[in-house]
Amino acid sequence: MDEKKELVKKEETKLERNRQFPTVTPVVDIYENEDEILLHADMPGVTKEEVRVNVDNGKLTITGLRNLETSGAANWEEFGSVEFYRTFSVPQTIDVAKVNAELKEGVLRLHLPKSEAAKPRQIEIHEG
Amino acid sequence: MWTRVSDIDRMFGAMDLLRSRMDRLFTDFDRSYGDDYGWRVSEGAPRTNLYDRGNQLEIKAEVPGLAKDDLNIKIQGNYLEVSGTRKSDAPDGYKAHRVERGTASFTRSFTLPAEVDSEKVGASLKNGILTLTLPKAEAAKPRQISIQ
Repeated sequence: MDEKKELVKKEETKLERNRQFPTVTPVVDIYENEDEILLHADMPGVTKEEVRVNVDNGKLTITGLRNLETSGAANWEEFGSVEFYRTFSVPQTIDVAKVNAELKEGVLRLHLPKSEAAKPRQIEIHEG
Repeated sequence: MWTRVSDIDRMFGAMDLLRSRMDRLFTDFDRSYGDDYGWRVSEGAPRTNLYDRGNQLEIKAEVPGLAKDDLNIKIQGNYLEVSGTRKSDAPDGYKAHRVERGTASFTRSFTLPAEVDSEKVGASLKNGILTLTLPKAEAAKPRQISIQ
């Protein structure tokens, strides 16, 4: 039980993150081709201003706040205000500067382009 | 010394978290979401909320990724039916690593707690949330009774 190790873990769990809303994990689709990785996440009810996409040290974090405004007496309520939150590991080959995100119809679409060096390259064979 | 201060800070943060969890305990109890939150057709249909606002009813439904042409709303008296299809948005030429978002069609029907005026029903779609406003029929509206 190394004390140093334990300290690092404590930092990582970030207990001080005080959440107002229950946190839920959005469902995602992940696709990849030679040029980029695509990530689609369902975040119904989240506005553009409330979405955060953060790439740091090989970690991609997406968060979205849904603040549901309601009025009147609820006869039934199956969903409410939540915080969508999910973390992914992304390869270092992602070109962070070119990451681009769009939010449409409650679906967040992230394009994570691969850096030039990481793309597969066809080697031409010269006749000697 | 400073590490101690942040430890104390963290402890209070944890206590705050516990308190807010306790606050939510009962409201969360009858809600269907938890850690495995997601739009799933296997559960039958999108999640909905129904609010009674006196003169009108309001229904909200989660429909991420659906355009207005993908949805069908039918209404008759106090019977409401919402159906739709979510098409796959998988791009061509890509390899799928993970596919969690369901694609299927669904139908959900409701018996509304009051008769509604089907002529004046309004529907809007914003950020993946469908909102239906259903004005109650004259007979079902709350009425002030004056005492003679």
